[in-house]
Amino acid sequence: MTEPTRRTSELTAYLSHELRNSLACIQQFGNILIDGLAGELSGEQREYVCIMLQNASKIRKVLDSALDGTPDPV
Amino acid sequence: MDRTKILVVDDNPTIRKGLSVRLQANGYEVLFAEDAISATAALVTERPDLMILDLGLPAGDGFVVMERLQRNDRLANIPVIVLTGRELACNRDRALQAGAAAFFQKPVDDGTLLFAIRKALDVSRGELRFDE
Repeated sequence: MTEPTRRTSELTAYLSHELRNSLACIQQFGNILIDGLAGELSGEQREYVCIMLQNASKIRKVLDSALDGTPDPV
Repeated sequence: MDRTKILVVDDNPTIRKGLSVRLQANGYEVLFAEDAISATAALVTERPDLMILDLGLPAGDGFVVMERLQRNDRLANIPVIVLTGRELACNRDRALQAGAAAFFQKPVDDGTLLFAIRKALDVSRGELRFDE
């Protein structure tokens, strides 16, 4: 493996790990709020958390496509 | 009747907390480990019914934990679900060959993870075959 290839591979691994962990936290706690596991939300609060989750989902699709070439979840 | 015990192994405390809330809400007892050494210790002392395992861990990665699990006859039938931020290439096939019942990249949908947990538990209890 050439040096530039190795560095690209390491960068991809780093980005995958860091971005996926952060995204997982956003999704986990967003869903916990939506499901009322931390108390009931008002209609407005629910709407805002849904917006947050929808955008997290968009980022996930970009990540899947950019880092692994797989647009669908495994 | 004792509740089903799930060992969550992840070095990220926020991930552990989020999984804990979700799993407890679904009736599971949740145990934690944050590295390969404490994961191995928890497997021996707590004998969980299932383990959710991250691959990128301090003190030896998730593959090391699975290798130790497979070498211990008393523990080898504990089902493992790998949940990782690592890339698919190399890691998925390697994890499944190492004995993982399922492999998911973070973030995983709650319903998908809970279904995989129920299926892996059914298989380990002899109520279902892997190919069903």
